[in-house]
Parts: sequence; structure tokens; C-alpha cells
Amino acid sequence: MKLLGFIIVCLTGTFLLYGTSDLPDWGDPNSPASLHLSNHYIEKAVAETEVPNLVTAVLADYRGFDTMFETAVVFTAGLACFLLLRDFKPKEDRYYRHVPTGVVLHFKDKARQLRVGTEFEAVDKDWVPSDMVIKTVCRILIPFIQIYALYVVAHGDFSPGGGFQGGVIFGSSFILLAISYNLKTLMKRVSEKFLGIFSAVGVLIYVGIGAIAMVMGGNFLDYSTLAPLLPVNPGHIRALGMLGVEIGVGIAVMAVMAIIYINIVSQGRHDEGL
Amino acid sequence: MNNYPAILIIAPLLGAFFAGLAAWIQERLSYPLALISLALSTFASVNVLMEVIANGTVHYRMAGWAPPMGIEYRIDLLNAMVLVLVSSIAFLNLLASYQNVEQETHDRAASFYVAYLLFVVGLLGVVATGDLFNLYVLIEITSLTSYTLVALGDRDRAPLASLNYLFIGVIGASFYLLGVGYIYIITGSLNMVDVAGILPNLPGSSTVLVGFILCLLGVWIKMALFPLHVWLPNGYTYAPTAFSRVVAPLMTKVMVYVMIRLMITVFGLEYIFVTLHLSEAVVWLGTIAIVFGGIMALAQKNLKKMLSYIIVCEIGYMVGGAWLGNELGMTGAILHIVNDALMTFALFLALGNIVYKIKDVDYSNLSGLFGKMPWTMAGFVLAAFSIIGVPPTCGFFSKWYLILGAFEAGAYHFAAALLISSLICAVLFFKVFEICFFAPEGNGLSHDNSHGHGDPVIVMDEAPVASLVTLGIVSLALILVGVYSGTIVNTIILPFLR
Repeated sequence: MKLLGFIIVCLTGTFLLYGTSDLPDWGDPNSPASLHLSNHYIEKAVAETEVPNLVTAVLADYRGFDTMFETAVVFTAGLACFLLLRDFKPKEDRYYRHVPTGVVLHFKDKARQLRVGTEFEAVDKDWVPSDMVIKTVCRILIPFIQIYALYVVAHGDFSPGGGFQGGVIFGSSFILLAISYNLKTLMKRVSEKFLGIFSAVGVLIYVGIGAIAMVMGGNFLDYSTLAPLLPVNPGHIRALGMLGVEIGVGIAVMAVMAIIYINIVSQGRHDEGL
Repeated sequence: MNNYPAILIIAPLLGAFFAGLAAWIQERLSYPLALISLALSTFASVNVLMEVIANGTVHYRMAGWAPPMGIEYRIDLLNAMVLVLVSSIAFLNLLASYQNVEQETHDRAASFYVAYLLFVVGLLGVVATGDLFNLYVLIEITSLTSYTLVALGDRDRAPLASLNYLFIGVIGASFYLLGVGYIYIITGSLNMVDVAGILPNLPGSSTVLVGFILCLLGVWIKMALFPLHVWLPNGYTYAPTAFSRVVAPLMTKVMVYVMIRLMITVFGLEYIFVTLHLSEAVVWLGTIAIVFGGIMALAQKNLKKMLSYIIVCEIGYMVGGAWLGNELGMTGAILHIVNDALMTFALFLALGNIVYKIKDVDYSNLSGLFGKMPWTMAGFVLAAFSIIGVPPTCGFFSKWYLILGAFEAGAYHFAAALLISSLICAVLFFKVFEICFFAPEGNGLSHDNSHGHGDPVIVMDEAPVASLVTLGIVSLALILVGVYSGTIVNTIILPFLR
């Protein structure tokens, strides 16, 4: 069986190499890929969309419909994690920590619960107090990471960046919080409901902008028809539409990153995993 | 400005996100939202079909950009017909499956509906688009949601089935993407019509050949053509009922549509049949798929798995028919997309009703079903007759075109396989009928009921009304599509092919 697999892999490799025999040279300026459509994008995109970054123009405007579905794919990934991993069963044992003394109480009886407040906090079995150095460094770092994420989102139409990258950076700041403190600290700040709603709202902003364009009498996602709604120079409206869309992408990606992380590390139980 | 081509896909997409948001406020709101959005989508696709029949191909520019630069929805007679098929089956299934979802995935019903809508969005987008890369993105959405929803089924075995499906499905999607990459680098375009215009200028290009074969392989994996079918039977057997009801009739058929679209619109029939001479080999592949699917179905002891193997067998019909290389075969293949979707839907609707009442559909548990669920079984029998190919039902007519096409092409082995598979299906279904009708109620139950005299009393215990009504509608459609298949061929398929 291994030999068979090896033979198939070799044959496929040969086949792929055979396909490359006819390819244009690497970086050939006369290759079809750089003649057919690229010229139009390079020559006209700035004039047509007023976005200085051509990549953004292709991504969020000419092929914005693809990008919308890519965002939907990201949303689907988050939904899949929630749907398959989320475990709604109540926990068997409960642990509570008396905050002033640090004594941990263990309740084996499911019926008995303690009121969680300033005096007691719920903890998990695997809970280990984090190191103070790590906590302090991360506490200082996280706000800067988040600001940088916002910068990447907002700057998407001028320079490399945009919603996907910014969203991932913002999401990673949540993950850093969960790693350096614990999952409970993160869940206290961004609840499951918050993440669930924002992952949908993010994509909804994208689809919504497209749908509004349709209501305003244009084709779906045709940002130019949004001009009467906003007090800006009509020529610049496409760039603004792209910015709006990028913000939607950023929100969705941020929420989905956190959803995936939370569900995977805690195996859907939303207690202390890693 | 006519926006129906966009609405038919945007309605379920918006519906998915609103249903997701509503779930956090009031979980009961998700289901009606999902239903409304699919109803809108069906309405829009019917309108598009009307318009295409009246005025010819509909072009819709996404974001208003002209085709090779932007993404275009290009809906001709073939797309429009498949769009109506997909949206209406998805809508009817949602209507029928409320109770099944409540029974099987009660604690996450709202998320189920969101994923279901996204799955339908993917299928609709695959069918409507005129752009090779956009097609890939939407295949990704359908695949991702179907992996998820399959895994949600049977607690023990569905996750493994889904994992197998995921591995093979991802390979299939990557093949397709790689193929599109090869085509892009040699043509510089992603728009189907544009690519079709450039390809004839590149005769004998090895890149085009590799791109074509990779795309084709990817689509074949996704449609479960033998021997690439291994993911299908387990995946469809262990999926939750509400999902297997929609994935079984639609997923494979939509991929057959993609194959036909690539053959006719992108690469051109002349390239495939004259330049490459692939016809004979692929028709043999279809023949083997039919025979193998039939034999494997015979070997099954579980109704759900048996029906899954029948899908593998039916895929052989469509692939073989499309590759016969004549108009009759292609007509048969396209007509069979519609017919097979309806037949499989009817079968799985009935199956879902049975599963709703008896969890385990091993043959040994089916006894006494005709007395217990007469309406469900009536629909099941009609759908089974259609699969076998009994004249007034639609299954007969597409098979007839396929057999005529096979004779015209001289592919007698394919014609023989079609006849043999009809025979196998007859044996299969009559075996099931025999158990359901004649076999005594098993497992001691009969002994309790029948003290002393005669037969055990069988209490009628039918599935929910919504499911039965839907099954009735689909059964009616089976006969109507059969009776009017001449009209469908003359107004939709032949004008498309010529």
C-alpha cells in the first residue's frame, strides 16, 4: 500500500511538472497573467476607485464579491467550532477559590453552588497561577497590539493591510490575554454572546453595504451608488465603501479567532484548558 | 434594474446572519427567518428562470464591473433550471425537517439552521457564477458547512465519517484550485466565457491539459465518482436526517452541473471529444461506477447506506451520459440532474420520516412499515419506481435518453449497465418492500399482540404532517416532471445545447 501511494505521488508529480513545461518564464512581463487583466487594473484602478493601493482595489472592489464569501468562510469556520465542540453539559465538580486567602474549595455535589462574587471566584481543576512577569509584560503589550490592529484595518486602502490581517492581530491580543492570565479573565471581558454576535455583525456589515447599494438602485456591492448617503466627494465613495467593508471583515475575523481559540483549548467547556 | 440574480443568493446569506443574531435573543426566531429567506430565494430563482426563458441569458455584474475585470453572474437556461431545483428543494426540506432537527440536534438547532443556510448559499453560488475562482470560493463554503453538519449526526460514527470526508474533500477542492491556477497563468483570466475565448488560441498546450484534468479530478472527487466515492456512503449515512435530506439530492448533482459547465462553456466540447479523445475512457468509468454502485447497494443491510450507494450508482449515469459525446446523451445527463435530485429527495424524505419513528433503519427493523406509516411508504414506493425507471415517473425518461444516446455512440456496455442497474434497483427495492410488507413484526412484539388469533395489530404511527405534505408535493413533482419531460427538453435543454 505504501509503495502504491509512492507510485501515485510520483506520477502526480510528473504530471504537474509536465504541466509546467508550457508555462511562461518566471517574471516574464509578456506572460498572459500580466498582460490580460493586470494592465487594466494598473492603469485604471486608481482613477476608477480613488484607492491608492491597487491590491485593495482588486480585492475589495473588482473582486469584492469573492472577498465577501471569504469572510463568510471565516464565519463558517467559527460556527463549525461552536457547533461541534461547544459542550453545554454542566460540570461534574466545582472548584471555588477564596480570594483573600487563596484556599480552594472542592464541591463534589452538583446541586450545591457558591455565589461567585468578590469573596469567592470559580476556578478549574487545572488552574495554575500565572507568573507575574508574564502577566505584567502582556498587560502592557496588549493595548499596543490592539491599537496596531486598528491601524492595520484602517490603513488597508493605502498600504498593505486590511480587514483580515487587522482582525487576526486583534484576535491574537485576546489569545495572549487568555494565555498570560487565564481563559476566565478573557471570558469576563468578551463573553461568548459578544463574540457570537460580533462574528455575525462583521459579515453583516459587508453584506449589508452591498445590499444597501442594491436598494439605492445599483448592482450588488456597487459602492458608487452610496454617494447620496454620505456627505463626501462622489469620486471618493468607492474608497470609503472599501473601508467600511474592511472594518466588517476585521470585526468578523477578530471574533472568529477568539471563538476558535476558546472552543478548541477548552474542548468546548469554556473552562481552563491550556 | 433587475436584481433577482443577486437576491437569490443574498437572501439566504442575509438570512443566515440574521438567524445567527436572532438566536442570541430568542432561539425560536431562527427557524422562521431561515424559512423566509429560502422562500425569497426560491421566488427570485423562479423569476430568473422565467426571464431566461423569455429573454435569453441574464448577465449580472457584481459591483457593477464589466466581466473580465469584475465577477459576473451569467445565468443561462441550464443554470436557471438548476437554481430553481436547488432553492426549491432546500426550501421544501427546511419546511419538512423542523421536527427532525428538534429531535436530533435540539440544543444547537439555531446554529444548525445558520450552517444549513450557508450550505445552500454555497450551492446556489456555485450554480449561478460565471467565474472560475468565485466557483472555488463557494465550493469551499458548501464543503466546510457539509463537513460540519455531517459531523453533527450520529455521536459515535459521524465524526470519523466527517473526518474522512474532510480529507478527501479538501484534496478535491485543492485539485480544482490548482487547475484554475494553471488556467489563469496561461490565459490571464478567470471569467469562464473569457477563458473559453482564449483557450482555442493555445492548441496543444500542456498547461491547459493539466489544468483541465486537475479541475475535472477535483470535481469528480466532489461528486463521488467511482473510485473517488469512498467518503460518500458513510458521510451521508451518519449525517443528521435534516441535512442528509438536502445534501444527498443536491451536492453531487450540483457538482455534475459544474462538470457539464466546464465541459460545455469553458473548455468546449470540441477540445474534449475531438482533441483529447477522452470520451471512451470516461464512459467506461461511468459504466463501472453504475455496476459497482449497484452491487455495493445489494450488499447493504441498512436502508440509509443502501440509498447512499444508489447515489454512487446514479452519478455513473450522469457522468457516462455527459461523456457519450452526442446530444442525446448530454440531454439525458442534464435531464437526469433534475430527475435524480427529485427522486433522491423523495427517497430521503421518506427515509427521514422512517428514521423519525424508528431510530435504526437496519432491514431487520423495517417490518410492518406499510401498516405503520402508509403515507410515507406510498411516497417511498413512488420514488423507488422512479429510480427503477417505471414509465409514468420521471426516472424513466432520462434513462430513455441515456440509453438512446448510448446506442447512438455505440457504447453498448453503457446501455447494458443502465439496464442492469435498473434490474438491480428493482431487486433492491422489492427486497425492502417485502420486508416492510410481509415480514412479521419482529422481536417478540408480535407475540404480545397476537394472543390466540390472527395477525398482530399494527397501530398507525405517521411522521409529522409537514414532512408528509412535502413528500406529497415531491411525489407529485416526480410524476409531473415525468409527464412534462418533453416540454423541459424542448424549452430548456435543447435550446441550451444548440
